[in-house]
Formats: sequence, C-alpha cells, structure tokens
Amino acid sequence: MGKIIVMTSGKGGVGKTTSSAAFATGLALRGFKTVVIDFDVGLRNLDLIMGCERRVVFDFINVINGEAKLSQALIKDKRIDNLSILPTSQTRDKDALTREGVEKVLNELSKDFDYIVCDSPAGIERGALMALYFADHAVIVTNPEVSSVRDSDRILGVLASRSRRAEQGLEPVTQQLLLTRYDPERVERGEMLKVDDVLEILAIPLLGVIPESQAVLRASNVGMPVILDEASNAGQAYLDAVSRFLGEDVEHRFVTPQKKGLFSRLLRRSA
Amino acid sequence: MSIFSFFRSAPRASAVQAKERLQIVMAHERAGRTGPDYLPMLQQELLAVIAKYIDIDQNKVEVKLDRGGDCSTLELNIELPAREAAAKALKESAKLAVAGNRPAAKDGDESDPVKLAAGGALTNGGVKKRR
Ligand SMILES: Nc1ncnc2c1ncn2[C@@H]1O[C@H](COP(=O)(O)OP(=O)(O)OP(=O)(O)O)[C@@H](O)[C@H]1O
Ligand SMILES: [Mg+2]
Repeated sequence: MGKIIVMTSGKGGVGKTTSSAAFATGLALRGFKTVVIDFDVGLRNLDLIMGCERRVVFDFINVINGEAKLSQALIKDKRIDNLSILPTSQTRDKDALTREGVEKVLNELSKDFDYIVCDSPAGIERGALMALYFADHAVIVTNPEVSSVRDSDRILGVLASRSRRAEQGLEPVTQQLLLTRYDPERVERGEMLKVDDVLEILAIPLLGVIPESQAVLRASNVGMPVILDEASNAGQAYLDAVSRFLGEDVEHRFVTPQKKGLFSRLLRRSA
Repeated sequence: MSIFSFFRSAPRASAVQAKERLQIVMAHERAGRTGPDYLPMLQQELLAVIAKYIDIDQNKVEVKLDRGGDCSTLELNIELPAREAAAKALKESAKLAVAGNRPAAKDGDESDPVKLAAGGALTNGGVKKRR
C-alpha cells in the first residue's frame, strides 16, 4: 500500500508545486516508485515544473470521470525510471474533484506506487480539502512571513479535524514543516522570522529549510525539478529533506549566512 | 558592521514584532477553533440586560475588541439618552475585560496596549476577569 503525502500551505505561491516536484523526484531517486498528482484543477502547472507539458493527453479529471484509464493519463518521467506524473485539467474547475472519484484513483495508484505526492492548490476550499483528505503524511510548506505562518496554522487545524484520518478516528496525519524561501541574511538582520520562531509558533517537527535560491527559477525555466540541480543550495536542501522524511538524521544546512569572500560580495552573487 | 547597520538595528527588529503578533493572534484563533466563540453572545446578552433598564439607541453602541496575549478586552461604549444623564457629559462607558484564552505574549511588557486597555477597564469600574 502506497503512502499518501500532501504538500499543503493554505497560502498561495509559497512553493508547494516546486516542493512537490522536488520531493517526488527525490523519493524516486531513492528507489521508491513515486507518482506526483496535480490537485490544482484549472491552473495546471505541475506539468511545466516537471517538464512534461508537451506530453499531456488525458488528465486526473478525465480518469475521475471515466473518460480515460489511469494508465493512459499517467506520464512516465523521461529522466527517472520510478517517477510518474498525473497532470490535472486546465479547463474544468475544482468541483470536478469528487471524494469518491479521488478515492478511487488514489486506491488504484497505491497498489502500484510506494509514494503518492499530492500537490495541493492554495486556499482551504474543495481542491485543497480533497488534496489533504486521504493523506497519511502532510508536508506544511511555509515561508518565513506572517501570513504564510498563520495560514499554515489554519491548515494544521483543518488536517486535525477534516482529514479522513481525523474523521475516522485513525492515527492522525503526520505533520512536518518545510520552511521555504529562507533568506539567512535577512534573518540575521532581523528582517525575517527565524526557523526557531516559526517552529515555536507552529510546534511541528522540521523536515527542512529550503533557502531562497535563484536555482529554483532556473530549474522551472527548463522544466527540471530543482532537486536535480545538485550543485544548488535549494537542490541539496531538498535532497536532505527527502532523507529526513525517510527517517535519516541529517543536519540542517543553509540556515546561517554563507561566509562570502570580498570578491563575491562585490559581485553580489548568490547561488 | 557598518554605521548603517548600527542605525538599522536601533528600532526593534521587525522579525521580533512579527513573531509577537503571530503568537497573540494564533493563540486566539486556535482557541476559537476548538471552543465556541462566546464573545458575540456575551455582547448581545449584555446589551439586552442594559436595555432592560435604559432605553438605548442601538446605533449609539460602540463595541471594541482587542485580543491580547494574556488578557483581552471587550469594550462597550453606550451613549445614554440625554434626560437620564447629567447635563453635558452624555457619555458613560461600561467596559469588560475578558480573560485571554492562552498567554502568548511575555509578561511585564508595559508597552502592550492591551494591558493598558485592561487597566482602563479597572479604573472605569468595569468587570475584569483573568484566567
Ligand atoms: N526556494 C525558492 N527560492 C526562490 N524562489 C522560489 C523558491 N521556492 C519557490 N520559488 C518561486 O516561488 C514561486 C511560487 O512557487 P510555487 O509555484 O512552487 O508555489 P505554490 O505554492 O505551488 O503556488 P500556488 O499556491 O499558486 O500553487 C515560483 O515563481 C517559484 O519559482
Ligand atoms: Mg502550485
């Protein structure tokens, strides 16, 4: 039985899709059969970030509606063997996601895959609720910024009350924090919330800190999950986060400003 | 460290304020998620009691809520009708401080506006309740 992971945040634009793509790719790199599903119905983007936009024929909603077979809609990643993508519809809206439909697809996927990564849309409406409902594990993607932290707390409340595990009185969904777009230099100047501040407020375990990085935009430009850019800070931070998710004890990196030589400071370069 | 960063660090770092504000607002939101929010009911019932004795104009009732770290205030300002009040001072206020749901802010922060409001409630002869 595959495990279902939801990347969720409440707030929009904090890095859920970036993280879903990176995380799914990372799990596949570690040998697990992994599928990543786009739950952001109407605003399909995961396909672009994964670089498979030109290969989409059928989508998640087609499968739910019985218009296509799951095997027809799944796109196998060209770079990594164990990785598949289930894109979403661009034309329909989130009402197309029915609980029964989603459940059927997830059940079928969990027979074949070790991990199912659900890329949640922003908000706490239908799309987001569907993405988290069946989850075993939740990765709370948060930026070190007041509205993002508050929205993450809302989502934690929703997970604790409106997920399948909560409704059926099962073991609760595990919750881990992925703090993204972290800028250690601004933190040092007192302009940005520290990792410890966010941890103290949200009171959930830390899965990883992903630094603000130019590599993320570069990777999205070419349709490559940033975790494959192993030379970048962000890529390495995602690799570490995946290792921690798998239970390994990995020290947190990129949480303090990197010591820069005079030359690079003059050039104002950052990775 | 340059002379500029010296000036920059003089006011309280904005990240510190961010943390404090979050702690306070989220303590309330978390409490509101589990328990029912009694403030609207409390406010209605209070007004009903006052209306039993005094003919109040609903438009002249001002309700203010200030959610604080360990003490919140609910402030009802009711303008009494002229004939019942003294010659020129028409305004009287009833203030009620309601205990906070969860202490989040540091104690002894004298600049906390919430505490000042709570102090005001006491001097006005209002009711003050703490957990
Ligand atoms: N670590 C990072 N460093 C720099 N930019 C980042 C980082 N993570 C994400 N971004 C940028 O932030 C933007 C939003 O990212 P992304 O699309 O992953 O967020 P999202 O949470 O999925 O948004 P939505 O709520 O709209 O689905 C993108 O432009 C992305 O390139
Ligand atoms: Mg997204």
